[in-house]
Amino acid sequence: MIRQPAKGNRRQAADGRQQARGKTRRVATATLVGALALLTGVSRAEEPPKLAFVVGKVLVMDKADTVINNAVVLVSGGRIEKVGKANEMAIPQGYRRIDLPRHWIVPGFVDCHNHTAGSLSDLNDMVYLTNPGLDTLNTVQPESDDMWMARAGGVTTVLLIPGSGTNISGFGTISKTAGQSVSDVVVRSPGSIKVAQAGNPERYWWGVGRMFMNFNTRQTLEKAQAYHEAWEKFERGETTEKPAFDPIFDGFRGLFRKEFVASVHTQIYQVVMTTVDMLARKMDLRTVLDHSEFDGWKVAPLIREALAAGRSIYTIQGPRAYHLDGTQRKIHGNAARWWQAGNPLLGINTDAPVVAQEQLPFQAAMGCYYGWVPYEGIKGLTRIPAEALLLDDQIGTIEAGKQAEFGVWTGDPLDTRSACEMTVIGGRIVYDANVRRRW
Amino acid sequence: MRRTGAWRAATAVIAFAAVSVQAGPPTKIALTGGRIVPVVGPEIEKGTILIEHGKITAVGASVELPFDAMEVDVSGKVLFPGLVNAHDWQGLDIPNENLDIGAALDVYDAIDPSRLFFENSLRDGVTTVHIIQANNCVIGGISRVVRPIGLDVDEMTVRPRAGVKMSASPKGGYDRMTQWAILREAFAELADYRERLAEQRYEEEQKKLKKDVDVGPAEARKRGAELIRPQDYDDAHANLHELSQGRLDAWVYVGAATDVGPAVKFAKENGFFDRVVFVLGPDTFKAVDELKAAGRPVVLDVNLDFRERDPLTGKLSETFVPKVIADAGLTFALLPHPDASLAERYLTYQAARCIREGVARETALAAITINPAKMLGLGDTLGSLEVGKAGNIVVYGGDPLDFNTWVEQVYIDGILAYDRAKDVRIRRLLEEPGAEEKPKEPAGDSAASDQTQQGDKPEAGEGAPDPAKPENKGENKPDSPAPPKPSPGPGDDEASVERASDRADRAESRRRKDNPRSKGGPDA
Repeated sequence: MIRQPAKGNRRQAADGRQQARGKTRRVATATLVGALALLTGVSRAEEPPKLAFVVGKVLVMDKADTVINNAVVLVSGGRIEKVGKANEMAIPQGYRRIDLPRHWIVPGFVDCHNHTAGSLSDLNDMVYLTNPGLDTLNTVQPESDDMWMARAGGVTTVLLIPGSGTNISGFGTISKTAGQSVSDVVVRSPGSIKVAQAGNPERYWWGVGRMFMNFNTRQTLEKAQAYHEAWEKFERGETTEKPAFDPIFDGFRGLFRKEFVASVHTQIYQVVMTTVDMLARKMDLRTVLDHSEFDGWKVAPLIREALAAGRSIYTIQGPRAYHLDGTQRKIHGNAARWWQAGNPLLGINTDAPVVAQEQLPFQAAMGCYYGWVPYEGIKGLTRIPAEALLLDDQIGTIEAGKQAEFGVWTGDPLDTRSACEMTVIGGRIVYDANVRRRW
Repeated sequence: MRRTGAWRAATAVIAFAAVSVQAGPPTKIALTGGRIVPVVGPEIEKGTILIEHGKITAVGASVELPFDAMEVDVSGKVLFPGLVNAHDWQGLDIPNENLDIGAALDVYDAIDPSRLFFENSLRDGVTTVHIIQANNCVIGGISRVVRPIGLDVDEMTVRPRAGVKMSASPKGGYDRMTQWAILREAFAELADYRERLAEQRYEEEQKKLKKDVDVGPAEARKRGAELIRPQDYDDAHANLHELSQGRLDAWVYVGAATDVGPAVKFAKENGFFDRVVFVLGPDTFKAVDELKAAGRPVVLDVNLDFRERDPLTGKLSETFVPKVIADAGLTFALLPHPDASLAERYLTYQAARCIREGVARETALAAITINPAKMLGLGDTLGSLEVGKAGNIVVYGGDPLDFNTWVEQVYIDGILAYDRAKDVRIRRLLEEPGAEEKPKEPAGDSAASDQTQQGDKPEAGEGAPDPAKPENKGENKPDSPAPPKPSPGPGDDEASVERASDRADRAESRRRKDNPRSKGGPDA
């Protein structure tokens, strides 16, 4: 009765793709990157072009929820120069005019939970139950097919994170979906620390439970915190004893300075409760709850309380859109339940390749299909995840001064019939259906 | 703060027990007209218990009520202290970690407030649960006493760090020699750790004083012993150290009679004998003389009958264990059976059986209330209906040990945590088919299949519209910047979320609409 995404098939497909890719990649990565650079014709040396988009609708996605109909968006120097009504704004000389009078401009989508911006064969290094020294930066693969697909779906920024095989599996990397080199695509590294609260690391060794996992995770984070505080003390001049440099814990200093977030694999009531309690409430880390499925939404009152107490908790839900509750014989839309329970900072992820990276807007559509609110769904793809990853000064809305990073859609991006016709990242058109069409 | 706690606890009751509480709990409640069985002290045929700010402030045949106390008439009912479950691993995800020495572990990290176990505890009149690692361990970890209400573990907690779980009987796959070798090793290693710590501390202090370490290691360890601060221990050693200093309780599983002697000796050698509670296996009672000599409290196995067939004659012999233990004068606690489908699940049934087998009524009642409370170090605050104790009260329909009696209401710290009249699960299970109210809307049962249509909201077309968001029933609005406002009390909010998702709950909400008491007045 209920249509559901063919997750099993998707995963198998991804696996197959991965195997095939593994062979070719090892041989030809360098050639491929070089060839793609020529194909796309984008060079870092070139100044980003001056563009004038004349469109039917701009979803600004700012705090005032502005929508501008029949609008012009001027782009220059990689940034949005000006946004306004077409009849109130002249297009200056020297701008390439792109006329799409029925199309929508929507901020580029941000996926907080992605595994396909890097090599999938390096997803999980399960050396210990917590692996604080590992970093996905070493696995980033610019200009892969997956990234081309991502931007064809209007997805412009992703957080590449390691898998959830262990409780702490390494640092995440915030990456653009277009660019020819690692330095081109990487926005911030570390972009997060991946924590898997429970629900996978159990398989480690011959099995661990939450009592040990949570103890161990807390111990690791406390060690990192102690390391950070020792250095802080030294840097403030409170002690002349210079702490020993530790390459494993040094990366965590940004986490405690709140320069990046903890992105947490967490689901099921008790597990989400523990994440909120341990990471957000007790350690005061900027916490992003990924997955947040099953009956996790019942934690909403604790989150409201923690938000009121000044903690930072974003819920970026997915990939499961709904939960079949056997005891209640009931279908719960995960995003809808979180929303109805009063969790204001709600977004959506794909967990690509579980759901393909370009299907991020479809994930939000699924959330709305099960009872979420469409406008909120779009917000949960743009401004909310941008805020969650501390990128909201750069991206997430269509406002003058921000980076020119958006999709040009044939209509409402949450309408599955709509297609992204053009994607702009860093002021450059990185996907153009007229050049190479995906949809 | 207290009030916040009460609010949240009430919320939690709704979230997990599907029982509805409308208003915040009143700060003063008087339960009047019921028979009071206080466990400690004489019974009162018709009396009043006054609870103020969560604590019992008066018990008696006639109690003068403060003007602002809410009176609850419980005429014809019986008031009994909230039952205490002395030892249970349920509520955790797994009974034990795969780790021999788990001294650093704490059940705090694994307690799941959403487990059905806690809801069932409430339903059975249990207001206090000792969550502790199961018996299949060497050193299991740190336990915790909780109440079965609360949204998170901190809110549930009655006593953190209640004790260390250990087993004197072999863990699965081990024999007794291995088990004891590991236990001895743990404490020998602790002694060694302390020595090294002492030496390290002495050197640190000398360095701080800019002096050389002028003595040998043996002398340094001696001098450094007093320099060790509590924070110098790591978690595992800290807990074992506390234990060895008699500052932490020990709950030691003694699964067979043969293990009693070594367990007593080990506890004495390692400094925690005065704080040990023995958790007995089915036949451990055979060492009753040794247990009696030790004089420590014991927790009995869930199976109260021990049956044994003589290998030569084939004659079946039966021993009723609590009688043996009671006759020996030992303080004991009874446990509920973990299998929820057995009568032994009810502590009151376990106590009733004791009486049938000749154990004195007061002894049997104490074994499910005040005795486990004392074992948990909570004898001053729990386990009986006395002035100064927590307002943990079970309202029974009749005598607590009569098996035709229902738990009608449960108060925990003065919060109405359970009300059978609002227990939708019980009603659903017990009502005859067809006796249930018919849903008014024909949509009722087909609501789920309706959802295949795009845009249909899960809550649309159901009996209980979400009061927090009436506008959400219609078309999706293109613009709704703020999330739905949580309704006035967190209780309402949770209730609406839960209610919207259960057919029986819908009937419940309709019933409550007709109930004038549900208009936000106190539950009394």
